Amino acid sequence: MPFNRKPQKFNARINTVTIGSGDKTVAIGGNSTYPFYTFDAPTENTAKIGVEISDMGLEGLAEGIRAYYDGAATMADIARKAAAMEGADFVALALEGGDPNGENKSVDELIEVVKEVAGAIDCPLVVEGCKNVEKDAELLPKVAEVLQGRNVLILAEKEENYKAIGAAAGLAYGQIVGAESAVDINLAKQLNVVTTQLGVNAQKIVMNIGSACAGYGYEYVVSTMDRIKGAALSQNDNMLQMPIITPVASEVWGVKEASASEADMPEWGPQDERGVDMEIMTATADLAAGSDAVILRHPKSVATISKLIQALA
Amino acid sequence: MLLFDIVFNGNDSMYAEAEKAVNDAVAQYGEDMAVGFPDTAYGPACYYAETGIKITTLREAKEALVYIKGEMQRERRLDSVFKSGIATALSAELIELMKYIDGKQPYEAPYLGHMTDAQIRELGVPLVTYDIPAVAIIINAAPSVEEACALVKSYQAQGSFVCLVGGIIEQLKEANYNTGFNVRVFPMGENISSVAHAVSAACRTAMIFGNITPGDKAALQEYNFNRFRAFVNAFAPLDEKTVACGAGAIYYGFPVITNDMDFTPSIPKSLIKQPKVEEFNATSVEARNIKIKISNVDIPVAFGSAFEGEIIRRKNMQVEFDGSRVDCAELVHTCEPSEVEDHKITVIGPEVDEMEFGSKNSIAYVVKVAGKNMQPDFEPVIERKFHNYINCVEGVYHTGQRDMQRIRISIDAFNAGFKIRHIGEVLYTQVKNEFDAVVDKCEVVIYTDPAECTRIRHEVAIPIFDKRDDRLESLTDESVDVYYSCILCQAFSPSHVCVVTPERLGLCGAVSWLDAKATNELDPAGPCQVITKERPIDENLGAYEDVDEAVQKYSQGALEHVTLYSIMQDPMTSCGCFECICGIEPFSNGVVIANREYAGMTPLGMTFSEMASMTGGGVQTPGFMGHGKHFIASKKFMKAEGGIERIVWMPKELKDFIADKLNKTAKELYGIENFTDMIGDETVAEDPETLVAYLSEVGHPALGLEPMM
Amino acid sequence: MALNGIQIFKLTPKKNCKECGCPTCMAFSMKVAQGAMKIEQCPHMSEEALASLSEATAPPMKTIKIGTGDGEFSLGGETVLFRHEKTFVSKTRYAVSLCTDMDDAAVEAKLEEIPKVDYERIGERMYTELVYVNCGEGADAEKYTALVEKAKGLGRTLILGCTDPEIAKAALEVCKADKPVLNGANAANYTEMNTVAKAAGVVLGVSGQNIDELYDTVVALEKLGNKNLILDVTGADIKETFANAVLVRRAALKDQNRTFGYPSIVNTVKLAKGDFHMQAALASLFTMKYGSIVVMEQMTYAEALPVYGLRQNIYTDPQKPMKVEPGIYPLNGGDENSLVVTTVDFALTYFVVSGELERSGVPMNFVINDAGGLSVLTSWAAGKFTGNTISKFIKENVEPKVKCRRLVIPGKVAVLKGDLEAKLPGWEIIVGPREAVQLVKFLKDLEA
Repeated sequence: MPFNRKPQKFNARINTVTIGSGDKTVAIGGNSTYPFYTFDAPTENTAKIGVEISDMGLEGLAEGIRAYYDGAATMADIARKAAAMEGADFVALALEGGDPNGENKSVDELIEVVKEVAGAIDCPLVVEGCKNVEKDAELLPKVAEVLQGRNVLILAEKEENYKAIGAAAGLAYGQIVGAESAVDINLAKQLNVVTTQLGVNAQKIVMNIGSACAGYGYEYVVSTMDRIKGAALSQNDNMLQMPIITPVASEVWGVKEASASEADMPEWGPQDERGVDMEIMTATADLAAGSDAVILRHPKSVATISKLIQALA
Repeated sequence: MLLFDIVFNGNDSMYAEAEKAVNDAVAQYGEDMAVGFPDTAYGPACYYAETGIKITTLREAKEALVYIKGEMQRERRLDSVFKSGIATALSAELIELMKYIDGKQPYEAPYLGHMTDAQIRELGVPLVTYDIPAVAIIINAAPSVEEACALVKSYQAQGSFVCLVGGIIEQLKEANYNTGFNVRVFPMGENISSVAHAVSAACRTAMIFGNITPGDKAALQEYNFNRFRAFVNAFAPLDEKTVACGAGAIYYGFPVITNDMDFTPSIPKSLIKQPKVEEFNATSVEARNIKIKISNVDIPVAFGSAFEGEIIRRKNMQVEFDGSRVDCAELVHTCEPSEVEDHKITVIGPEVDEMEFGSKNSIAYVVKVAGKNMQPDFEPVIERKFHNYINCVEGVYHTGQRDMQRIRISIDAFNAGFKIRHIGEVLYTQVKNEFDAVVDKCEVVIYTDPAECTRIRHEVAIPIFDKRDDRLESLTDESVDVYYSCILCQAFSPSHVCVVTPERLGLCGAVSWLDAKATNELDPAGPCQVITKERPIDENLGAYEDVDEAVQKYSQGALEHVTLYSIMQDPMTSCGCFECICGIEPFSNGVVIANREYAGMTPLGMTFSEMASMTGGGVQTPGFMGHGKHFIASKKFMKAEGGIERIVWMPKELKDFIADKLNKTAKELYGIENFTDMIGDETVAEDPETLVAYLSEVGHPALGLEPMM
Repeated sequence: MALNGIQIFKLTPKKNCKECGCPTCMAFSMKVAQGAMKIEQCPHMSEEALASLSEATAPPMKTIKIGTGDGEFSLGGETVLFRHEKTFVSKTRYAVSLCTDMDDAAVEAKLEEIPKVDYERIGERMYTELVYVNCGEGADAEKYTALVEKAKGLGRTLILGCTDPEIAKAALEVCKADKPVLNGANAANYTEMNTVAKAAGVVLGVSGQNIDELYDTVVALEKLGNKNLILDVTGADIKETFANAVLVRRAALKDQNRTFGYPSIVNTVKLAKGDFHMQAALASLFTMKYGSIVVMEQMTYAEALPVYGLRQNIYTDPQKPMKVEPGIYPLNGGDENSLVVTTVDFALTYFVVSGELERSGVPMNFVINDAGGLSVLTSWAAGKFTGNTISKFIKENVEPKVKCRRLVIPGKVAVLKGDLEAKLPGWEIIVGPREAVQLVKFLKDLEA
């Protein structure tokens, strides 16, 4: 008896969410299979890649990333180079300088950065907050306001501030709401439930279910994504059918393996290569577990992941 | 005059004014003249939201008059009153619209008239987040300038947004009271027609934030009713037009509070008469069912979880209160809203500074709560948090509960100015914040007078505690309509779902049916969800179609069936945080129970952790089941297999812990006295052979039961 | 369907003879149901019982053992497709590839490079466990055997990539005692390869032009009595390889198709074609989805640090969190006079907290308690992270070594402060923040 293929068909699919406006938009989600399972059903949209830039400019970035942006003097220059990176589908601007425990830049100052970046590029844009829930509750509604009409993804509302950010991004200013929870299927679902109860259209929500660098409690990420995709597809749970975006870079570039200099760890070899492989391997794992989009920094990572996605499509 | 007549007359006059305004404009500019409010994409938003039609020219304004006229029904029915109310608001909007014709700017500071879309968006976000708890629309002059300022200030203080119409604006101006959008006090206009700008704000909020399709009247009404937390304060003397506008407000769910005691009849909860202006705020907030957020605890020392573990030793102590020595009590008491004055804190008896240094005193605090969704069943849930609340105060220490609490106040806290009434502040703030889903109003009465404490303890608290205990006792799986799911520990155990029933608490031992119920009410999208029990499959097993559907749903399909009362057939799964595990012991027809603390061997040949590795993780393992300690004494404990008489072995410590209750249940169910004496423990046997010999010797009933498999 | 413990127990002799090593037949049955013991370990099972049980309790995917001694590895034996359903049991193993096409210098360089990656992470040794020796086109037995001998010198378990039965036979002569894998059977040569593998007593790797051919070849080999197989699922390109890896595993576990119930091998060298970053991506992809052995062109620290971390995470028991060794970990140049900061031994907590502590730059002694590998609140609730356990650990392990008497405890267990003050006389107990991200600011403020 020959091998009997049994495709796994689901009567449900992940929502398609389109980011961006005008000619340049990018669609994420939309699939009805586990990631890359093209043998079960055709892929609606391939996974997408965002290039992360920060209001902190090139400060503290790995050598290879800085080299790519060489000559970029302003945030607008950086944004243009990010948008032009080979394999990039969108640009993700992280406003990490807003963190009250860090630079604590004012909202006004950050909004100027947002405007400068948005003015420089016309590709789809994701704006990430500073991760402090109080500051983001103040900052992200303003971001949503100044980017009216651009249909950007605002990352992210959390359980603690979903009303302010969800209402501003999802209702007042018609942007896409990123819902961030802490690596737990029930928390992810609960946030989607309360966000939709707020009045936000479920088709305008993208999840960040929480991320980790490979080796750092990554099993929770895998299992949470596995379970979310399982529930979304096999249980047709429409409160879990939002596509998933995973900010990989912010997790990866901070860990020792990526950030320790070669001088400190001579046996580990060149720092840039370590960081790139950490970013590539974590991003690949995220995609294989169920991310519909990943956010990366290094041009080599972006090129490689892009090639991988094309090869698996 | 009847309310019908007042509203109809008011509507007629407002309509007549609108008709005249439009006709005059047509005469002056011609029908093709463009009309509109500045800086809005929604046209005259009330009319657009109600009808789906955007008025852009005078011709369309004339057509709108026809529509409005058609709505002005004159039957003596409530429906006609509401329609006329809306028709009045739409007429008012047309009057205002005409003022803006030809690029005119009809309003000058302090008057602001129309609100821009940008302002609506800015306003909408804090409205959604409750940072703006309410929108107060104040019409006419208050009895005095002072009262006008005080009322507006009271709304500002709680973060509410205030819209002003008529005489009150001049009053504020006279008092040099700062107004404007940025301070959330928005003077709209001199005439009552300017109230249309407030209605426009509500309608645009519904379209922008509520995704309400213009023209979907029912959805608009529902959104305003449920989401737009506005109310009207209308000062005497009222007139027909104002009342007619009020009818529109009431239709949208905005209650009207007035101090005009004679002009109209009152309507419960909708048209409320309140002669005292200083009570307007409280009456309005209550009528609209608005909850005010409290941001910080107003006490002279710090408050936070960092102080939770602080212990106040005798040498650092100013005074103490000790329920084990003198009469004390702590109590949450559900009252009628009228019996509770929000944020009132009363101390009956001496304050700390009147107590002797180092002395032992009585204290009893009664937290009176009222709320539409409050139920007496939540009282103990709230009470149990008192320990945590009071402990979070820097320099204050609390242990125990009910009438056995002990509190110490440190010398440092005393010197910082901490008083007994601050305990009331803490309880008030925390209860209001944490239980806002059920507590609308909260008042704290603290007794330190020893005689009063004795009275409260013995005449009030203890009878309530007894009643609660009786209620808990009487709660059975049969006596309730619903059970609850609990998935608090799915983070560790992805496919596990607990079904919590009155007689079967969560296997962690921490979540009772009442807890689950309260959790569900407080956090409707949270970890505890209602499970109905309407479709029984087998009541003896505790199998229900509803329960199966729930576990399938909450385990994302990992579990198909769960029975409530069997350990052999589809037993309930365990997450891993169980207090105990029972497992079938085939040689004695019974079960062995091991608790988490017991490290030794059981007659099953397995230790607790070996048993745990087989039953955890949401896996169904027939013959084995995790559960809470208190479940052992439940009449539902493996009822399907015969109940507690199957228990043949338990570690001694666990046996002693549960003995009283277990013996009581055994007596009730089987008439067996001192059942626990028949149950083996590690001093009797750690292997099956010795255990069976012991069980035969004492005549354990399990030996005579049918084999379990 | 697998039997549960009670069903197995019914078939046991119920004598509690303890000869299997378990105190009771019940305990034995439960272990068999879990897969921790085999039914045959009971000496008193009746023939009928054994027959009915062995089929029912046989796992859907075989466990294949390769190598000897320290180099012995179990592959396969998985029962689930997703780790949250039940633990993945046999870790992905990585092989670095050598080939007869490489010149001597390149081979020497590789042989020198491979042992360089060898380190420990949370109690696990991380190194390249396997070496893949490929027989390139045109190589003869002598050349190949010479390369195999060189590779053997590394002391790692070998995989012989060779489709010529004669050459394979010769190579096996020098290494068969170490139980390498012979990866080389296909539709054309499986009869001969089977003979060679069987004679040498080694696991045979099977491949096919496509998944159907692979399937048919496995069926044919099973007919020849060989069930000691590994399936080389490497296809023409990345897409086909991924499909093969998933389909093979899914057929075995979901559809109970035992023909595909074998471990798999993925050769990324053929897919990445010299692109090392692509190779890294593929190593991650096939660690996630169903590669039992992943063959790579190189394994330097750049690849090893992420991929071994990933593997360590994925192959954990969802019920048993990873633990770090309790002890004192000086950070940022901490010495005996530096602040003491403590938390639990749950690996995730350790990593998150230590990362933030390092970022603070404040010298300190980071003390890890034995808290059963649970998170702060869970271990506290379970009575494993309490005033007693912390004070005991501090007294026994920290007081003799550290002079500083300031202890920062996690904010989530602020409630322990009073108890610790009582149990640790002379110590100042400081309540830290509730979340790790707040640590940097907290420590800076504390030091200010």
